[in-house]
Amino acid sequence: MRLPGQSSRSMLPILSDLARVIMLALVAGGMFTFFAAGSLQLYQEARAVENLTFARVIPAPAEIVDAWHDHHDLLLEEHIPETLWETLAGLSMAVALGVSIAALMDFSRLLRWLIYPLLVVSQTIPIFAIAILLILIFGFGSGPKITVVVLFCFFPITLSTFSGLQTADPELLSLLRAMGASSRQIWFKARLPAAMPSFFAGLRIAATYSVVGAIFGEYVTAQRGLGVFLKRSYSSFRLDQAYLAILLTALLSMLLVLLVNLIERLALRWYYTTRRKSWRGPGIY
Amino acid sequence: MNQPSCLEVRGVSKTFVEEGRRVHALDNISFAARPGEFLTIIGPSGSGKSTLFNLITGLAQPDSGEIVLECGAVRRRVGRAGYMPQRDLLLPWRTVLNNVILGPELDGRSRREARQRARELLPLFGLDGFENAFPDTLSGGMRQRAALLRTFLTDRDVLLLDEPFGALDALTRRELQRWLLDVWQQFRKTILFITHDVEEAVYLADRVLVFSARPGRIVKELVIDLPRPRQSLSRLAPDLRRLEGDLLSALEMGNGS
Ligand SMILES: Nc1ncnc2c1ncn2[C@@H]1O[C@H](COP(=O)(O)OP(=O)(O)O)[C@@H](O)[C@H]1O
Ligand SMILES: [Mg+2]
Repeated sequence: MRLPGQSSRSMLPILSDLARVIMLALVAGGMFTFFAAGSLQLYQEARAVENLTFARVIPAPAEIVDAWHDHHDLLLEEHIPETLWETLAGLSMAVALGVSIAALMDFSRLLRWLIYPLLVVSQTIPIFAIAILLILIFGFGSGPKITVVVLFCFFPITLSTFSGLQTADPELLSLLRAMGASSRQIWFKARLPAAMPSFFAGLRIAATYSVVGAIFGEYVTAQRGLGVFLKRSYSSFRLDQAYLAILLTALLSMLLVLLVNLIERLALRWYYTTRRKSWRGPGIY
Repeated sequence: MNQPSCLEVRGVSKTFVEEGRRVHALDNISFAARPGEFLTIIGPSGSGKSTLFNLITGLAQPDSGEIVLECGAVRRRVGRAGYMPQRDLLLPWRTVLNNVILGPELDGRSRREARQRARELLPLFGLDGFENAFPDTLSGGMRQRAALLRTFLTDRDVLLLDEPFGALDALTRRELQRWLLDVWQQFRKTILFITHDVEEAVYLADRVLVFSARPGRIVKELVIDLPRPRQSLSRLAPDLRRLEGDLLSALEMGNGS
């Protein structure tokens, strides 16, 4: 029988998380070096031959590193914070919106019938069109970009939270009613907690979309952000900078997903102590 | 003789209609429990025992007849009895301590005081040192004891226990039976206890109600006159066997008709 509250146990998952990130970094680093060395060679050979397009399309890794050296002040002080702010603000609002809509759909069958088609339609409209509209309406600030992030992110959160709310054990709900619980108490003490694992699954998907959403919004029009940096790079044919922006986007998305995983494991200790012997969690990274 | 009863069931019948088929679950059930009495209910599966509990807790309404709970007519019956269903149904996201204080919490009483009281009772319920454990890390016997503590802490006079030991191994079950009698004698609760185990029905009870196969009727009421506190099962063996014999023949009769 395990004794509760052994702190070494609860620290383990975070440590093993770290170990996994280090592993991943090593593997990624190895692959990167391999391909970097290969493409460096290719690049230099291609340089010798005039008019070989891919030499212009694929920058050498060293050039990407140079681009970072040239621009990291600007990136770290302006573009990344802006993108990060839009992402986090949008994701938080998507959580609030998604959970609220899920609660409404859970609350009444009529609302479910009304909301569900709207939800689906909202996902079939090209976000591109909406983004331009939003900017026309709200101007160039970060508001429209945050809205684009919300549009990208709220759908998976809504659906997963909604299905999570439906998973609560009906016998458990009966027990609570027999104990004299009000519907409100039943919702907050049983249905909502039961929905949490499912909610986090949706949040993880949303987190992967969110950075891309922000960059997409910035790309349409903005003054700051990785999306602007990317756009400017393209319009001045600075592909080294464009690749740098793409790499940074991927990195940000990955860090965000890792953050969500970490929060999930801290918030759902009960779920991971029982369902899985090790806290391997969602199985990614 | 004229003691008020804390639970009285008068002429209760219940029929379910499911997919056009009518299932007559309970037929004209009547009995009364004296305060502090330990009643066991035994009957074949499907004889409406759990249905009776659902009616008493107010989760469902009888088609006819009435149920009086808590020493006087109460209009709103929901939440008036402590109920422990067949499955322990502990909240997996709550620690043992936070699970067992669910009753007071739902009543809007102070959580701090409830925790205080729960902590004092943890040793008696064999849960000492496990207050911060999550239910899924506990053994079956411990989960059952946690569910029982939750039921006792609801502070209701009448406790309805639906096959609480049904899923446990024989050894654990015997241990918990003796322990339950101890706890019951300390708390002076009225207990209705469903079981499908003849020995358990006799060993625990002041009185056994025998249900027939569907539709459930009370085919026999057996008073268990064994002295309390009860000795261990092995010491009681001869008396137990005699009463068990009576019970078994009643059960067979109920099944045959
Ligand atoms: N909510 C319900 N709807 C339809 N039929 C039910 C319902 N609850 C119980 N029954 C039926 O009533 C009968 C008695 O069930 P139950 O009270 O669970 O029996 P027991 O607990 O004695 O095994 C069974 O045939 C069962 O299928
Ligand atoms: Mg039953």
